[in-house]
Amino acid sequence: MRLRKILTHFFIMMALTTNISFIHSPNGWELVITIIANLFATILKMGEGRILSNELMASSLVADLHLIPAGFVFYLGNHEEAVGLAVGALAANIISIILGIIETILVTFMEEEE
Amino acid sequence: MVKLRFKKRRKKSLKDIYEERLFEILRQFKLPLLMLHTVMSVGTVGYMILSGGDFINSLYMTIVTVGTIGYGEVVRGSDTPIGRIFTTFLALGGIGVFTTAITILIRVFFAEDFLGVFKAWKMLSDIEKLRNHYILCGFNRTTLELIRLLKKRKIDYVVIESKKEVERQLKESGVEYYILEEPYKRLVLEAAGIRKAKGLVVNLGDDAKNIAVIVTARLLRPDKDNFFIFSFASNPETAQKLEELGANKTIVPQRLLATRLAAYIFHTSSAYISDLFDKIAFGEEPEIDILELQVSEDSPLVGKKLKNLDLRKQLGVTVIAIRKPNGSLNVTITGDTEVEAGDTLILFGHPKRLKIAQRILTEKVQELVGGKENET
Repeated sequence: MRLRKILTHFFIMMALTTNISFIHSPNGWELVITIIANLFATILKMGEGRILSNELMASSLVADLHLIPAGFVFYLGNHEEAVGLAVGALAANIISIILGIIETILVTFMEEEE
Repeated sequence: MVKLRFKKRRKKSLKDIYEERLFEILRQFKLPLLMLHTVMSVGTVGYMILSGGDFINSLYMTIVTVGTIGYGEVVRGSDTPIGRIFTTFLALGGIGVFTTAITILIRVFFAEDFLGVFKAWKMLSDIEKLRNHYILCGFNRTTLELIRLLKKRKIDYVVIESKKEVERQLKESGVEYYILEEPYKRLVLEAAGIRKAKGLVVNLGDDAKNIAVIVTARLLRPDKDNFFIFSFASNPETAQKLEELGANKTIVPQRLLATRLAAYIFHTSSAYISDLFDKIAFGEEPEIDILELQVSEDSPLVGKKLKNLDLRKQLGVTVIAIRKPNGSLNVTITGDTEVEAGDTLILFGHPKRLKIAQRILTEKVQELVGGKENET
């Protein structure tokens, strides 16, 4: 379904952009929005049995596991550590985006073949 | 323009089907999780706005509100009129969403048997690693006895049974690998590792079902010498048909029992020997075994005398009889008995020694024969 794809990609992009913004100038609001957007993206990818969906889900889960502790660490006062964790999540977010693009290209070609 | 060509997708295996079922269950988790996440996000962000960015307390306040715990207004700003209006709406919408989401999650988890499907998928992955195992179609008391004997000889096996209700019994009996599906399906036999298995035992209690399994299995493994099919049949006529269809050996239980009883009746004075042969044949005597070794026309054993081979001294096994190509059995063998092409040597000894003997007599027999001849 196209709408689901738009939503999933929207949340992945949202997580990526706000994460970059947070890393550039650490701000609690941005981190919270990153966590929320990334969790939405993970849930939307759940159970999708298509090409690269498992890899997308895995990379998204990795980002969650970096961002959630980053949220707590940031509000407990350790801003440096929170930024470090967010950088880790950023790597996973970038991989998510790349995988998403590859998946879209593959699906388009496969549809053309059929 | 570059045109990409995609290879034809491979056929779905039973493992793929179970994997899809797992994904289907996971997909059912999506909606309740989305509902839950939305409520939690709205609550947390709302309290953060009220409190001026207190994330940890806002998250805590949301959980105690939608989880109907209600420890009080712990977030700054939540005790103001605006805060109370927000909490009222959050509780009204959130509590319903929270309980519904949790109920759906628990129901899907148990009703769809998430763990059961996952375990079956894991078992199929483990079965893929098996080699030279036996596939036992049908689970009953006879299968249980067979499993006991196979375990004694450390032979791996996979049970295929269509009745799901026997799962508990399978677990209680210590059956490590089993598939609860119809055994005549190609997918199921492939999932049981038929392409790498040594043999198949068909015991479904119904001749028609047995035929279906034998035919499917023989189509997948046509070579009768490399893949053995043993089947049960209700009468000798059916047994013959099953053998024609692809079974290597068919057993008619009543006839087998009668034969065994007759053997006891005919040898009442030598009951120990009858029992011993039974035990050896049924694998209950771990220290002794019998092996049949066919001598091919180009075998270096042809034309050699048994005393020259001296298998007892060299390999620790004894030739107790020779079956001739016409089917007759020569039990009066001596050291001067000559091995002929097409003979089958019946060897007696420790299972380990027999394995070594089989390997040497089929692969390195030249060294054995040459060495002995030089001595003589």
